[in-house]
Amino acid sequence: MIMALCLVMAFADLRFFRVQNLMIILQDASIFLVLAMGMTLVITGRGIDLSVGSVAALSAVIMAMLIKDVGFNVFVAMAVAILVGVACGSVNGFVVTKLRVPDLIATLSTDLVFRGLALVLAAGMVLARFPDPLTWIGRGRIFDLLPVAAVIGVIAIAVGYVLYRYTPLGRYAVAIGGNTEAALLTGIDVHRHKIYQYMLLGGLAGLAGILLTGRLNAIQATAGMGLTLHTIAAVVVGGTSLFGGRGSMTGTLVGVLLLSMVVNALVMLRLDFFWQQVAAGLIIITSVAFYAALQDPSTGGLSGLLRRARSGRS
Amino acid sequence: MNQPPPSVRSDAPLLEMHSIAKHFGGVMAVAGVSLHLAAGEALAIVGDNGAGKSTLIKVLTGVHELDEGEIRMEGRLVSITNKRQSRQLGIEAVYQDLGLVDSLDAAGNVFLGHELKRRVLGLNFLDNDRMAREAARVLREEVGIELEDIHVATHHLSGGERQAVAIARAIYATDLKILVMDEPTAALGPEETRNTLALMQNLKSQGIALIVISHNLDHVFRVADRVMVMRAGRAVATLDRRSATKQDVLAYIVDAVDTEAA
Ligand SMILES: Nc1ncnc2c1ncn2[C@@H]1O[C@H](COP(=O)(O)OP(=O)(O)OP(=O)(O)O)[C@@H](O)[C@H]1O
Ligand SMILES: [Mg+2]
Repeated sequence: MIMALCLVMAFADLRFFRVQNLMIILQDASIFLVLAMGMTLVITGRGIDLSVGSVAALSAVIMAMLIKDVGFNVFVAMAVAILVGVACGSVNGFVVTKLRVPDLIATLSTDLVFRGLALVLAAGMVLARFPDPLTWIGRGRIFDLLPVAAVIGVIAIAVGYVLYRYTPLGRYAVAIGGNTEAALLTGIDVHRHKIYQYMLLGGLAGLAGILLTGRLNAIQATAGMGLTLHTIAAVVVGGTSLFGGRGSMTGTLVGVLLLSMVVNALVMLRLDFFWQQVAAGLIIITSVAFYAALQDPSTGGLSGLLRRARSGRS
Repeated sequence: MNQPPPSVRSDAPLLEMHSIAKHFGGVMAVAGVSLHLAAGEALAIVGDNGAGKSTLIKVLTGVHELDEGEIRMEGRLVSITNKRQSRQLGIEAVYQDLGLVDSLDAAGNVFLGHELKRRVLGLNFLDNDRMAREAARVLREEVGIELEDIHVATHHLSGGERQAVAIARAIYATDLKILVMDEPTAALGPEETRNTLALMQNLKSQGIALIVISHNLDHVFRVADRVMVMRAGRAVATLDRRSATKQDVLAYIVDAVDTEAA
């Protein structure tokens, strides 16, 4: 699909391939890389978090107010942003496990709560002009080329890859998402691990809030509205099953880059903004439907198809 | 509330179930069944549909809590109120759906909840390579099956292979004493049925006791030492395989024998 997109863009507009533009794509992708890493684990564990956009906004608003109004050191304030994210994540985890509210409803509701808190705190203000370290993280370039935020995003995915394959956090996400009953029976503390997954994603949402603030050098309580759906779409486009039990961190990397390229291409083609929205939505549906077909149990999923292709049967 | 103190006898059988009763609403699914089982012994439970076979073993594996009766392991009174407790006693069940995590490979399932770790830079990471080797060894040496590709998700394995993985997990993860199998051969082809029956012999020779529910009397007579026949929630007869014939068993199942006299 990436190849198809490249082909189309090769005919349409060669500027797409300029290094500068590719760096812009990476810059745009960075926030989603960070969020999608945690979202991959949550979705693999048969959860979903619809509150990440609001968590990012709330963390960012709190950080901004600490810097501007209280005069906190910028690094301390950033640490607080991540801790606020972790706290929001543990609220989500608590509501989902201990209160037994289904993930979708739970995080749809906490999304309102976190967004509301951000709105109350910021009281309609836009906080702007932050110290250099924050803007460097958000929009700085290494050697005037590589976006700092993109480096952070790629590191996040790399860490996610290790977590998924080489730690109980990832292994138990697969087990819980794939067969909760079996996971319980082997003595895995399912609630604890679900809470960990949500806390990790919350912390990453806090980090996303930092990146968002640094990039714009401004933040307001309504920021990051579209982050959640875009993140989930990227994860699913990357091949992680919405039904849980099966995820892919490398797939998520590809999914995020793909969606960012699509959005970038639409901008380059000077599609009217509103049509961009329509096109982005359609592309998401197409990709998800494509993967749903691939993951259809009757075909044995993507790996099943590959296996059969390799063994020469159809 | 004045239960006898848990006395321990050294000559006690591995498992004793005394006068077990379990009802669902008005249905008496199991109405006072007793059985005993020694290490390395295989007991088959047969009977018509709805006779209460599954319910009886689910009391043992902690799926259902018993209404009446008592369970002793090696003479000691035990209380089994959930699956975890049953497992901790060394009782493991292999059901039709097997309780595997489909998207994990054999090693992932065998070691689930008991992963082998490796320290790197002071942090603990899963040692996937060692788990794969170890799982392959358990499957080969103790279960007697060789998987073509140890890394394939269990979702892609055959019914018999999946059963083997479930049993390997039971052997490895717990100190397996009693393996309970409800219709272990029902969904298997002839070749895999042969493998499973051989596997059951193999487990017996390792001192593991088996409780097997089956409708297939041929299979029952190939592995079981004793055959317990259930009808309408009661054990109507327990026959020794060496002295009984399939016809005898069948007669009890279909109620051709006067059960009061039996
Ligand atoms: N969870 C339950 N709730 C209510 N009734 C049940 C439940 N489980 C079993 N029963 C009833 O208890 C009786 C015994 O059922 P059980 O499943 O133990 O039979 P079985 O001997 O295993 O039969 P089969 O050979 O068909 O598997 C049946 O009448 C059944 O309908
Ligand atoms: Mg049954």
